[in-house]
Amino acid sequence: MADQTQDGRRHFEEIEVGEEYLSPGRTVTEADIVIFAGLSGDYNVLHTDAEFMKSSIFGERIAHGLLGLAIQSGLLTRAMRPFATLAFLGLRWKFKGPIKIGDTIKVRAKVIAKRETSKPDRGAITLERQVINQRGEVVQEGETDLMVARRAL
Amino acid sequence: MIEEKLYFEDLEIGRAVESPGRTLTEPDAVRYIGLTGEWEEWTPDEGGARQVPNLLTLCASGGLGWRVPQPPLAILAFMGLEWQFLQPLRIGDTVRNRSWTLAKRAVKDGGVVVEQREILNQRGEVVQSGRLTFLVARHPES
Repeated sequence: MADQTQDGRRHFEEIEVGEEYLSPGRTVTEADIVIFAGLSGDYNVLHTDAEFMKSSIFGERIAHGLLGLAIQSGLLTRAMRPFATLAFLGLRWKFKGPIKIGDTIKVRAKVIAKRETSKPDRGAITLERQVINQRGEVVQEGETDLMVARRAL
Repeated sequence: MIEEKLYFEDLEIGRAVESPGRTLTEPDAVRYIGLTGEWEEWTPDEGGARQVPNLLTLCASGGLGWRVPQPPLAILAFMGLEWQFLQPLRIGDTVRNRSWTLAKRAVKDGGVVVEQREILNQRGEVVQSGRLTFLVARHPES
């Protein structure tokens, strides 16, 4: 395995339950939604039909839920030193409210669990995350599980 | 002209549908990283190959979910998901969806539908899987 001590990444034993992070904000633009539709292939009317959405419960186009999930993932990397992540294991995620064009979101995250695994060179870390808009409303929240390397002995 | 849609009442529990495949390319990964600012996963493995960012595969699955042999589902909102990343994907791998309705229940504003979804690679191996929950419209005449 490559030496991971040189690049400043944090290992399993250095990460503490209760650590918290707050990302910078990012304004979600119409361009973000259009680019995401093209990249994902998800052109659902919720995200692309301004006229149809006038009569919807949201009143206008909204960002794809998965765009919000993807943006928060990038935002959080700007708020913390990277972990020595070996694998992204999974997530449990709720879309609680819409992200509309022009909304500014940031992500708040906290380490809520550390778990030993059957392999001694790694452990599982669970992060709780909340995506918050400019009015302080939680629009998405959930937990992500990562497999993180220990330092080589 | 009537726009055909699939409503809450139309969904049959357990009926599986498959999407066509999509090859995940280096341009897809570069565009994804540019859009999200997520550079961390963009490191080559020991063999020099690069992996597809895990969430890009999930996002591509979101688009493939519309390309199934049935009318588009009348989704009012995406409520959440529980998801597992089982195997990494390399640039050049081809993925497709297999999905079926696991459960549904009527609520005041429509119906809550739980979809079980698997993402398969070109060898038929399940690389990601989980459950997605949607709020779906009821038939307009009901």
